[in-house]
Amino acid sequence: MQPLLRVENLSLTYPNGYRALKDVSFDVHRGEFLVVIGLSGSGKSTLMRTLNRLLEPTEGTITYDGRDVTHIEGEPLRKHRAQIGMIFQHFNLIRRHSVLANVLYGALSTMSALKSMTGRFTSEQRQKALRNLDIVGIADKAEQRADALSGGQQQRVAIARALMQEPSMVLADEPVASLDPATSHSVMQYLERINREHGVTVICNLHFLSLVRRYATRVIALKGGELIFEGKPEQITDEWFRTIYGDEAVEVEIR
Amino acid sequence: MKARPTETIALRVVAAVIDLLVGLYLSAVVMRVLIPRLIFDTAPAPFATMDMLILAGSALAVLVHGLLSGASPGRFAMRLDVSKGYALTAATHLGWMLLVTTVIAGWIVTGMDPVALFSEGGLAGARRIFTALLTPEWDILGDALLAMVETIYLAFMATAIAVPFSFLLSFYSARNLMSDTIGRRVMYIVLRFLTNFSRSIEPLIWAIVFSVWVGIGPFAGMLALVVHTIASLTKQYAEQIEDVDHGPIEAITATGASRTQVIWFSVVPQCVIPFLSFTIYRWDINVRMATVIGLVGGGGIGNMLIQYQGLAQWNEVGAIVIIIAIVVWIMDVISARVREALK
Repeated sequence: MQPLLRVENLSLTYPNGYRALKDVSFDVHRGEFLVVIGLSGSGKSTLMRTLNRLLEPTEGTITYDGRDVTHIEGEPLRKHRAQIGMIFQHFNLIRRHSVLANVLYGALSTMSALKSMTGRFTSEQRQKALRNLDIVGIADKAEQRADALSGGQQQRVAIARALMQEPSMVLADEPVASLDPATSHSVMQYLERINREHGVTVICNLHFLSLVRRYATRVIALKGGELIFEGKPEQITDEWFRTIYGDEAVEVEIR
Repeated sequence: MKARPTETIALRVVAAVIDLLVGLYLSAVVMRVLIPRLIFDTAPAPFATMDMLILAGSALAVLVHGLLSGASPGRFAMRLDVSKGYALTAATHLGWMLLVTTVIAGWIVTGMDPVALFSEGGLAGARRIFTALLTPEWDILGDALLAMVETIYLAFMATAIAVPFSFLLSFYSARNLMSDTIGRRVMYIVLRFLTNFSRSIEPLIWAIVFSVWVGIGPFAGMLALVVHTIASLTKQYAEQIEDVDHGPIEAITATGASRTQVIWFSVVPQCVIPFLSFTIYRWDINVRMATVIGLVGGGGIGNMLIQYQGLAQWNEVGAIVIIIAIVVWIMDVISARVREALK
C-alpha cells in the first residue's frame, strides 16, 4: 500500500548554517499514530514544520498522498497545508477571539480573503465548528474568549480547529509539554480518538516515554538531526533509551 | 561593559576622520568666535587663506598627535584602546577642551545677557506682560472657544485621515512580515526610510510647504499634521507588529490560510488595542501641534493667538493662553484615562 507520507533523505540547514535535519527518511501509513522522540534541539519541531512546509527543506523529498510537496509554493502549498492540521505546545489560539471563532479559523483556506475578513462564515461552517467542539467536549464554551479557558481546554480548542480543516493528518508538536499530567492524558486521549474514530493519521512529538508507550503505534527517534531509531514503542529498551537521551538521562514516569 | 570592538581598518579610518574634525572644530571655534569676540570684541574678519591654513594645520596636529601617542578622541569615540597612561590623560583633556570651548562659544553665539534679564527696564517689561496675561480679556471667550474647537477638529481630522494609511503601511514596514523575500525586504527598507525621513521634518515646516500649495489656512495645517501623523503612526504600529507573538501566525499559516488572512486573523487581533492607544495619544499630540501650526497660518487657536500678539493686545493673548492650557490639560487627562482603560 502506498504510504500517506514518504520522507526521503530529508535535510534542512538553517540560513545561519545550523544543520537541524540530516538525511532523514521514513514512511507514515494511513491510520498510524507515529510518535517522534528525542532531546530538545534534536530536530523534532523542525521535522514537523517541514512536513506541512512551514519550512522548506534544503535536500531530499517529501511525498504526501502521492504528490511531491518538497518545494511547492502559492496555492498548491496552501492546499497541502489545509489537509494537515497542526497542534502546538503553546496552543497558539487567537487569545482575544471567541472559542468558536478560533475553531472557524480552521476553515480559512476554503474561503475568499474578503469573505473571511468580513466574518461571513456560513451556518454550516458554524454547525460544523460546534460539532468539532463537541467532539473535544467543550461545546458549552463556544462563546467564551479563548484566553478565559484553562490550558487543557485551550489545547482541545486547538484540536477542534485542526478538525475543522477535515485533515488527513494531524501534526502535534509537544501537545502536552505545557500541561499538567492529568490534563496531558485527557488531551492525548482526544488525539487518540480522532486517530481511531475519525481515521486521522497523527504524528506527535513527545517527551515522556510513558505517554509514548501508551499512545504510539510506532516510534521514531531523532538525535542531532539524524533518525537513529524506528520501531514499536515496546522496542525502546533501556539501552536504546540511553542512546537516544544520553547516558546521564533517567526516565521520568507520567501516569 | 561591552567588549571592545576589534581594531579594523575601517574603524581606524573613522577614528582618524573624527580626530581631524575635532581639530578643525576646536581651531575654528577659537579663531572665529573666541578670539575675535572675547579679545578684540569685534565681528570676525572675513575668511582669509591664512585662516584656512591654520584650520588645516590644527586638524592635522590633532590627528598626528593622536597617531603618535594614541591620545586620539576618535579612537576614544570608536571605543578603541586609549588606556595607556599619557594617551588616556591627553584624550580626556581634549574632551574637556571640547566641552569648555563649546560652552563659551555657545554663550557668545546665543547672546546670553543676564543683565537684560534682571535690569530695571527688563523687569518692568516682565511686569507689564505678566500683568496683562494674568488679567485676561474674556470678551473674546466665544471666539477663542470656537477657534479652539477648530483646532481640535483639525487635529481629529488629521488623525482620522492618517489612520487608514498608517494601518496599511505599517504591515509593509514591519520587519517580521517583510523578511521572507528580497522584494519585501527592499520595500521594508524603502518604507522605513520614507517614514523616518518625513518624520524628521517638523510639522511646522510641512505647514509652510502646504500653505504655499493649498493656501494659508486650516486645510494646510491639517495636511501638515496628516503627513507627520502617517509617518509617526506607521512607525509605532510597525514596531507593535514586530512585537507580536509568532505562535498564532504559525498556527493560522498552518491551516492553509492566505497571507492576507494570516495577517488579519493572527497579527491584527494582537495589535488592535495598542493601535487604538497609540492613535488616541497621537490625537492628543496633534491638538498641541495644531496649536503651534496655527502660529504660521494653519488656522485655529494658534492663528488667533498670533493675531492678538501682533496687535500687542496682551490681555486677549492671556485669555487665549489660558484656554489652550486648560484644553490641552483636559485632553491629556482624558487620553491617559482612555489608554489606561484599554490596557
